[in-house]
Amino acid sequence: MSAKKKENLSLLVFCAPALMVYIIFKLFPAISGVFYALTDWNGLNKTYHFIGIENFVELTGDRHFWRSMLFTLKYVAVLLITANSSALLLAVFIESRPKGKGFFRTLFYMPNMISMIIGGYMWNFIFTRVLYYMADNWGMKFLDRSWIGDPKYSFAAIIIVASWGVAGYLMIIYMAALQGVPSHLIESAKLDGATSLQCFFKVTMPMIRHALTICIFWTLNSGFQVFDVIYSLTGGGPGRATQSAAINIYEEAFSGNIRYGYATAKSTVLFLIVLIITVIQLNLMKKGEQEL
Amino acid sequence: MRKKQFIQNAICYFLLAAAAVFWLFPLFMALINSFKTNGELLTNVMSFPTSLHFENYTRTIEKMHYLRSFRNTVVLSALSVSMMILFSALAGWRLCRTKTKLSSFIFGMFVFSMLIPFSSIMIPLYKVVLALKIKNSLLGLSFVYAGLGVSMAIFLYHGFVKGIPQELEEAAAIDGGSRMKIFFLIILPLLKPITATICITNVLWVWNDFLLPLIVISDNKKYSLLLSTNTLFGQYSSDWTAILSALILAAIPVIIFYALFQKQILKGIADGAVKG
Repeated sequence: MSAKKKENLSLLVFCAPALMVYIIFKLFPAISGVFYALTDWNGLNKTYHFIGIENFVELTGDRHFWRSMLFTLKYVAVLLITANSSALLLAVFIESRPKGKGFFRTLFYMPNMISMIIGGYMWNFIFTRVLYYMADNWGMKFLDRSWIGDPKYSFAAIIIVASWGVAGYLMIIYMAALQGVPSHLIESAKLDGATSLQCFFKVTMPMIRHALTICIFWTLNSGFQVFDVIYSLTGGGPGRATQSAAINIYEEAFSGNIRYGYATAKSTVLFLIVLIITVIQLNLMKKGEQEL
Repeated sequence: MRKKQFIQNAICYFLLAAAAVFWLFPLFMALINSFKTNGELLTNVMSFPTSLHFENYTRTIEKMHYLRSFRNTVVLSALSVSMMILFSALAGWRLCRTKTKLSSFIFGMFVFSMLIPFSSIMIPLYKVVLALKIKNSLLGLSFVYAGLGVSMAIFLYHGFVKGIPQELEEAAAIDGGSRMKIFFLIILPLLKPITATICITNVLWVWNDFLLPLIVISDNKKYSLLLSTNTLFGQYSSDWTAILSALILAAIPVIIFYALFQKQILKGIADGAVKG
């Protein structure tokens, strides 16, 4: 046996446990999913048949799915802005002062520790009890609306809770990046007469561009899969008004319909859309970073 | 100039404090109201409880089988993460040290699959779980977590091993040590820092994951903390004192965990981001 073959054999031995669980629980499901999407597999019949692209044809006319997809897109777009701007703002404020860094960092990161199921239910209490109390007793009449029950406001409620849940994480990344910006650059810009805002946008922002790429990538990726926060806050309701794609797929497969084949077709489409958007984003941001 | 600095500081800290109040508000409201009677909660949600009704907690601990769910979650996290760490340290080390086409192919496969979102494999995965008859099995579920988690862990180990000089293991190999022996006696101890990071992040992931157990575990004797909290919320939807005490009880373990490992958790994120 040649030395190279021996090396490869030893490699396979060491990778065997990892490869085994990985192939069974990730690779095989990912590949077989494409196949199931072409069948009429469901939880009722023992057998299933190959039906070609029928599922995908049906999917093009599935109003509920596309509405949930559109909702997810809207959610991701708004969350990108709210979560990242609040995270960046917090990071800049905390980093600009000498005291209290550790304290504020610990505090703002806290929601990330708790599952969004728990956090979502806590906010559920705020929206269904506390805000009404504040509206009635403290004269804050603008709070007096059906935050969970009215689709106009439940979107806002979801965004508030989701931003609360992820901003701390993004803030940590922005803080690490801000620490890497040399202070003499800012000082010399200030000596040249730049205002604080000019300093921020012309000096600091380009320097933390890499962190921005990471944070946007991360928000996109986790945003498209949003499940917990909506599940615990509105359950996708009222009706299907706040259903995200992941919730729609979950319902199709596991509650009521049990149409696995059709649901797999949906998840294939979701994967493709996420993949395309991620690739576009990474390319755009890389180009942007190179131009600097 | 001094005065200007002072005003700037004051505004800055005021805004940060306002944000902090907002951040803690849901936790704080859940905490104070979890100690009230339901009547007290209905009349005034903003007041402090007149007396601490710990019986809400004892009642909830019984109703959601807190100790059982807690034990299930501990078992699940411990099994999943130990497997993840052992499997991926073995693989990550050899993948880094072997310079063949096969090794770069396997490594590339692991890295690429990190992009596959969970929601797009969950249904075929459910089928695998049914076929292997591991539905409602905590051990089975921890194998699933290992399978889903190894790619990221291998990526991190691979990067870390690159920074370890090869001389040590070469010397040990000349002395006649087998690779397995070298791994356990020399490599694994050297990997400690990255193992700590991987361990902490993945314990948190498994502990806080909801969708996968929701699909795979339907037997309430095997429920994780989140599943039993979720069930309680469904059953007692208007009994807020019961729900809030359940939420606090479910949050306590992670908050203790945070208090203990805060430094490593926050450092792990910042480091991970720089490398990514």
